[in-house]
Amino acid sequence: MEGASYQRFPKVKIRELKDDYAKFELRETDASMANALRRVMIAEVPTIAIDLVEIEVNSSVLNDEFIAHRLGLIPLTSERAMSMRFSRDCDACDGDGQCEFCSVEFHLRAKCIGDQTLDVTSKDLYSSDHTVVPVDFSDSGAGYENPEDQRGITIVKLRKGQELRLRAIARKGIGKDHAKWSPAATVTFMYEPEIHINEEMMETLSLEEKTSVVESSPTKVFALNPQTHQVEVVDPEAYTYDDEVLKKVEAMGKPGLIEVYAKEDSFIFTVESTGAVKASQLVINAIEVLKQKLDAVRLLEDTVEADDQFGELGAHMRGG
Amino acid sequence: MSSKSEAKVSGAQRFTPHLPNDPNDEPLRELFSHHIHSFDHFVEYGLEKALMSIKPKPELYPPQKERISKQVREALYPFECRQAKISYTGKFLVDVCFKYGDSPAGAVIREKFSFGQLPIMLKSKLCHLRNADRHKLVSCKEEANEMGGYFVLNGLERVVRLLIVPKRNYPTSMSRSAFRNRREGFTDKAVVIRCVREDQSAVTLNLYYLSNGSARVGFRIRGRENLLPIGLVLKALIDTTDHEIFMSLTSVYNEKHEKTKGSVGTQILNERALIILNEVKDLSLFTRIQCLEYIGEYFKPFMEGMQDDSHAAVADAVLRDYVLVHLENNHDKFNLLIFMAQKLFSYIDQTSVPDNPDALQTQEVLLPGHLITIYIKERLQDWLVKAKRLLQDEVNNTKKNFDFGSLTDVKKALDKNPAKQVGLAIENMLKTGRLVSQLTLDLKEKAGMTVQAERLNFLRFLSHFRAVHRGSSLAGLRTTSVRKLLPESWGFVCPVHTPDGSPCGLLNHLTASCRITSFYDSHGKIRDFSKIQKSILSVLVAAGMTPSLPKLVKAGPPEVLHVLLDGRVVGAMPSDRVEKVVSHLRRLKLSATSVIPEDLEVGYVPISMGGAFPGLFLFTNPSRFVRPVIQKFPPPEETNNIELIGPFEQVYMEIECPDGGNGGRLPEFPATHEEIHPTGILSVVGNLTPWSDHNQSPRNMYQCQMAKQTMGFSSQGINCRADQKLYHLQTPQTPIVRTATYEKFRIDDSPLGTNAIVAVLAYSGYDMEDAMVLNKSSVDRGFAHGHIYQTETIDLADDKFKSDASSRMFKRENTDKKSHSFIDADGLPYVGQRIKPGEPYYTTYNKVRGNSFSQKLKGSEAVTVDYVAVDVKNKKQLQKANIRLRRSRNPVIGDKFSSRHGQKGVCSQLWPDVNMPFSGATGMRPDLIINPHAFPSRMTIAMLLESIAAKGGALQGKFVDATPFSSSLTKRDGEEGDSLVDDIGSMLLARGFNYDGREVLYSGFYGTELVCEIFIGPVYYQRLRHMVSDKFQVRSTGTVDPVTHQPIKGRKKGGGIRFGEMERDSLLAHGAAYLLHDRLHTSSDHHIADVCSLCGSILTTTLIQNQKKAMREIAGLPPGRVPKKVKCVSCQTSKGMETVPMPYVFRYLAAELAAMNIRVKLQLSNGAAA
Repeated sequence: MEGASYQRFPKVKIRELKDDYAKFELRETDASMANALRRVMIAEVPTIAIDLVEIEVNSSVLNDEFIAHRLGLIPLTSERAMSMRFSRDCDACDGDGQCEFCSVEFHLRAKCIGDQTLDVTSKDLYSSDHTVVPVDFSDSGAGYENPEDQRGITIVKLRKGQELRLRAIARKGIGKDHAKWSPAATVTFMYEPEIHINEEMMETLSLEEKTSVVESSPTKVFALNPQTHQVEVVDPEAYTYDDEVLKKVEAMGKPGLIEVYAKEDSFIFTVESTGAVKASQLVINAIEVLKQKLDAVRLLEDTVEADDQFGELGAHMRGG
Repeated sequence: MSSKSEAKVSGAQRFTPHLPNDPNDEPLRELFSHHIHSFDHFVEYGLEKALMSIKPKPELYPPQKERISKQVREALYPFECRQAKISYTGKFLVDVCFKYGDSPAGAVIREKFSFGQLPIMLKSKLCHLRNADRHKLVSCKEEANEMGGYFVLNGLERVVRLLIVPKRNYPTSMSRSAFRNRREGFTDKAVVIRCVREDQSAVTLNLYYLSNGSARVGFRIRGRENLLPIGLVLKALIDTTDHEIFMSLTSVYNEKHEKTKGSVGTQILNERALIILNEVKDLSLFTRIQCLEYIGEYFKPFMEGMQDDSHAAVADAVLRDYVLVHLENNHDKFNLLIFMAQKLFSYIDQTSVPDNPDALQTQEVLLPGHLITIYIKERLQDWLVKAKRLLQDEVNNTKKNFDFGSLTDVKKALDKNPAKQVGLAIENMLKTGRLVSQLTLDLKEKAGMTVQAERLNFLRFLSHFRAVHRGSSLAGLRTTSVRKLLPESWGFVCPVHTPDGSPCGLLNHLTASCRITSFYDSHGKIRDFSKIQKSILSVLVAAGMTPSLPKLVKAGPPEVLHVLLDGRVVGAMPSDRVEKVVSHLRRLKLSATSVIPEDLEVGYVPISMGGAFPGLFLFTNPSRFVRPVIQKFPPPEETNNIELIGPFEQVYMEIECPDGGNGGRLPEFPATHEEIHPTGILSVVGNLTPWSDHNQSPRNMYQCQMAKQTMGFSSQGINCRADQKLYHLQTPQTPIVRTATYEKFRIDDSPLGTNAIVAVLAYSGYDMEDAMVLNKSSVDRGFAHGHIYQTETIDLADDKFKSDASSRMFKRENTDKKSHSFIDADGLPYVGQRIKPGEPYYTTYNKVRGNSFSQKLKGSEAVTVDYVAVDVKNKKQLQKANIRLRRSRNPVIGDKFSSRHGQKGVCSQLWPDVNMPFSGATGMRPDLIINPHAFPSRMTIAMLLESIAAKGGALQGKFVDATPFSSSLTKRDGEEGDSLVDDIGSMLLARGFNYDGREVLYSGFYGTELVCEIFIGPVYYQRLRHMVSDKFQVRSTGTVDPVTHQPIKGRKKGGGIRFGEMERDSLLAHGAAYLLHDRLHTSSDHHIADVCSLCGSILTTTLIQNQKKAMREIAGLPPGRVPKKVKCVSCQTSKGMETVPMPYVFRYLAAELAAMNIRVKLQLSNGAAA
C-alpha cells in the first residue's frame, strides 16, 4: 500500500451567502473531512470575547459573576482574531492580557438617574479598539423594523440610583475552551440525498394514493404536479432521512416505489455565524485552522522531539 | 398549506399563550389561611376564653382582661427579626385581680402583669403586614406574595405542624388491645369521644365494655385514668330513676324490628341494663345525692384547690370538667352517654361495625392557634396555682409582716414565680416544638410540634403549610395500618405526595382544594356557633325532628335516627324523613343568605345491615377538613353550586367523577354530587407534574420529593434575606409544558428549572445507570448555573464569650497592613471581595486585652462577600453583624439533576458541543443526553409526552397544557377529540418534524448518521441541591487522631472515610494482601517501634539525646543522617535494640495494658528464621 495516494480535491460550491449565513456544497470528500470542518468551525476558529472583568461599582440586582458571565457571552467582531495572539503565548506582555497584541479593553459606565428603568446593553460597552466592538444586529434584518428599537444585547437593567461601572478585557480564544469563543451558532451538514421514483410503479397508483405518498413526508420533498398528476421531487434536500416515505410505500405494499440513497461523498453545509465573524470568513478561517493543525501534526511527525515528547507513544503514532 | 396546517392542529386548546399578568394571590393565600385564621382566633377570642375557664377559683380571680400590644415605641418588622436573629413577638399583658377572703370587703388588688413576650404569627391580625399589598410588602423587604402563617423566632422561620387528632365530639367505637389491660374484666372494645371545649382544650372520655356486660366510663385527670361505672355517672348526672335509665338504654331494642335492616339493639340489652343498674345498687347508692357524695369523696384528693369543698361540689366539678366537657347541660351529657352506651352495645352485639380511628372520617386537625391557646391556658393555670401557693405561704407565715393590701408585698411574693415565664414557655414551645408539660393537654405528642419552614424553594416552603402529620409516636409502630392510604382520604389528602421511607403515610399533604374550617366565615367574620346551632335546630324541628329535651326519645333505629349536632343528642328523626332533611340542609348550605354555614358537615349514616352505627351527625366546629364539590341539582334560584363537604359525610355521599363513566354506581343510588376536576385529589406539588396520569405512580411520588429539593428561585427578595443557607438558580425558566395549577398558584414567581433539549440515546458509556452527559457548551452559556448564599451571623455579645462579651467589637488594627486588602476599617469585609480559604474575613478587637483576632475562611473553596449587615442597636461599638457569602455552584461532574417525572440522574461528563450528536436538518445539539434504559422499567410515559409536547409548544411559541386527567374530561363532554399523541404529533408533522418526536442525528465524533432515529426534545429539568462540591471527601495525608495516630473522620475536618470490617473482608476474599496492608497499615497508623529484644518491651525504650558532635560537612552534600541512639530504660543498655514496624495502636494497647499491670512482651525473631 506504500505510496498509494488517497488524495482528493474536494470542491466547494456556494449556494447562498449572507453575512451571518452560508450554505454550500462540499463534494468529492468523505464524512471525516466534512465533520472535521464542522468541528473546527464550531470549536476552533478563534474569536474575541470578554474574558476578564474588573468590577468597580455594581449596585444592580445581578451579582458580579452573573454580569461577568453575560458580558463574556456578547459576540464581538473578531475579524482581527486570526492575526491576534493568544494571551498565554504573547511575548509583549507576561500573559496578563494587558497589551494590544493579545487583548482589547472595554469600559462600561452606566447609572440610572431617572424613574425609568435603564437597560444597559452591549451598546454601552466602549471599546479601546474600533475593530473589536459588540456585534451590531441592526442591519441583519433580525425583525426590527425600526433600528432605533434595537439597543443591542441587554446586560442588566438598572433602577433609579443603581450603578454599574466596570473594566473588561477581551481576549482571543477558541470555542473548545469556552463556548463564548465559538463563532458558530449552528454548523450542520447532511449527505446529499438521491431520490429515485419508480415511474412505472407510480403510474399504478391512484391519485389519492399519490397524494398520501406526497404527504407522508413531513418536509416538502415531493409534490403532485397539478397538470400531469405525477409525483415529482421538488426539493430533495428537504429530505431529512426520516424514512417516512419509505415506510409509507412499504405499508402500501409497493416497496421500491421510492428509493433514497445518500451520496457518500457530497455534503450540504449550513453555517450560521454569531456575527463575530462573517459566515464566509468563518469557513475560510476554519480551513486555515485545519491546515495549521495538519501542519502541526506533520511537523511533529518529522521531528525527533516527538519521541522525546511522547516516548513510546510517539513511535507508536508514527506507526512504529 | 398554511391554512391546512392550522386545520391539522386540532388540539389547539392545548396550546395557550403566556398566562395573564394579573397578580392574584388569592388561590395561594387560601393555601395558608388555616394557619392564620386559627392564630387570629387565638388572639381575638381564644385567649380570652382560655382565661375565663381557668381553674383556681374563689381566692384568685381569673384575669378579666387581657391585651396584647405591639411595642409602642417603634414597629418591629419581620424582616428586622430575620436579620437580627431575634423573635417577632408582642407584649402580653394580663390584668390580674387578687382577692383574699370571701367577704366583698376583702382586700382586692388589681394589677396589670406582664406575661412576657408572645410570638406573633406573620400576617395575623397583630402583624404589621396584615393588610399590606404587594407594594407595601416589597417596601417592608418581604416577598411580594408573602403569605405569612409562620413565626419568626431567633431569626428562624418556624411553622406549627398540623397534627391529626381524633374528630371532636363524635363517639367512635373501636377496639384496642391496650384497653384489655386497663383492669381485670375489661375487653378490648370501647367507645371513645374526644370532647373539646369552646376554648379548644380537650378531654377524652372512654366508655369501656366489660366482659360481664357492664360498661365503665374512663377519663384522665392529670394523666391518671379514673374508671367509674356507667350507671353511677348516669345517676349522678341528673335526677332520674332506674326505670328511666333502663328505658333509655334499651330504647333501641324493639322486638318488632329484630334482625330487620337497620336494627341495632338486641335482646341482651335488657340484661345489660339490669347489670348496670345492679352495679350501682350494689354500692348501695340510690339517689343522685348519694352518687355525687360517692364520686366527690373518691375524687377529692385529685381535685386541686377543692380540699375545703363539699363532696357534692367536688363531684359537680368532676362531672363539669372531665365528663363530656363539650356539653354544659347535664341532661345533654346524660343523653349522649346513653347514646354512647347504645353504640357500644351495638358494636359488641355486632349489629354495627366499629369506626376506623385511622381513617380520615374520624379525624380532624389540630391548628396552630388552637395549640397555642390550650398550651397558654395550661401554663397560666400552672402559674396561678403557684402564685396562689406563694401568697398563701406568705399570709400563713406570721413572722413576716405581709400585707395583702399592699401591691409591692404581693409583687415581691410573686417574684419567685415570674409571670414572664408564661410568654417564654410559648416561645420555647414554638422554638423547639416540645411541649413541656402535657398532662392536661390530651395530646399524645410531646415533641415535633413545630418545624423550620425551609425556603429551599417555594414548593418546599409551601408544603410545610400543607403537611398534616399523624404524630411521631406512630413512627415507631410495627404495624403499617396507620400508614395505609384509605379511601376515606379521597380528595382531602394527596395519595401521591408523601415521602417514602420512615415517615411514609404518616406525613401527608392536603390536596390543593382542601381547606380547614375556621372560626371565621368566608367574609372574615367571626362565627357565632350558638346562633348557628340554634338555626340548624329550628330547621331540623321544622323538618319533623322530635327534640330530645326535655325527654329523650325512647326509640331507636330503624324507626327513628338520633340526630347529633356537634356531639349533642338534639333529637330523633323518623328515618324515612332523614334523607329529605339531608338534601334540604345541603341546599341551605349553598345559600349565602341562610345562617346555615357553607361548611356544615351533614354526616348522615344511613341504616344498614350491620354497617356503621346509624344516625345524623351534624358538625359546625372549626378545624375540620372540607373540600369543594359540585352539587348536581342545586335549587334553581341558587347561583352557587359549590358545596363544601367533609370526610365524615363524604363516605355516605354519591359523588361522581367527571370522567364519563359512572364509577360502578347502581341506578338506585344516582350521583347527587360531582367532582370539580379529577385533579382535586392531588396536592399542589403533586398537581405540578405534567400528565402525571401517564406515569407509573411511584414516579410521581419521587417527583414530589425531588421538587422539594430543587434549586430554584427560593426568594425574590434574596438581597434582604439572612437565611443560613439559600440555594439560587441563576437563570430559571418557565416550563413549556405545564398544568393548570402552575398558573393558578403562580409558580412562575419562583420557578425551579430549565427547559433542556434532551436526547434519549446510548451514546458512549457515560450515560449508563442514570448518569447523564451534559453539553459543556450549554453549561458555558449558563445552563443550570447557581449559587449558594450562606449567611454567618456573628454576635460578639453572645453567651459563648460571656467573660469579655462587652469588651469585644469589630475593628481592624491599623498596624496589620496585610489584612487591609481584605478587611475594611470597621473590621468587616468589603462587599464584592473575593476571599480564598485561609484569608481573613472579619477582625474583632478586644478592648480589655488590647488584642485583635481575625477569622480565617475555612473550607477549600473561594467565596465572594455578597452582603454585610450590622446591628446598630449598640450605639457605642459594633458587636453584631451578618456576613453573607456567595459560592458559585455551576454544574460539574457529580451534580444531580432530575426531570419532573422522578427521573433523576447524575452528571457524568461535560462534553463540548462538537462531540454531541447533531441534527442534520436543524443543526441542533442536545443540552443533555440520557439513556433509553431509563424508560422501560420506570414507565414514565409523561416524560416522553412532555418532550414531544414541548417541542410542539416551542415551535408554536406557546405553552402546552398538561393538566392530568383532562382527556377523561373531554370524553365526558362528548368531544371525541384526538388523543394527546395525535394532537401533538400532527402539529409536529405540520412543522416538518417527525410525528413521534424522533429526529435523524449525526454522530458528533464521526459525522456519520446514527443508525437509529433519536428521540429528542425539550424537557423541563430541575437541578437538585445535592452537589458534589458540598459532599466530596478526599484525603491523602492529613490530621490524625493524637491517641491512636489513625486518620480522623469527618469531612469538615479533612478526615478520611472509614475502611471498615466489611471492606476488609472483601479485600481478604480477593487475596489483595498488598492493598490490605496499604489501607490498614501503611496509610493508617504505620509506626516503626524500637523494641528491646532483651526484655521484649516496646514501652521502656527511650531516645538518647545526641551529644552535639561537630559534624564534618562534606561540601555540596547534605549532612548524613545520624543513626538514632535508643536504649532500654529497664535493661539499661542499647544492646539488643531492634526496630519493628507495627500499627501505632499496638503501642497504645501496650500502654493501656501496662496501666492495668499487664506486661506486653514481644519475642523478636528474624523474619526468615521464623
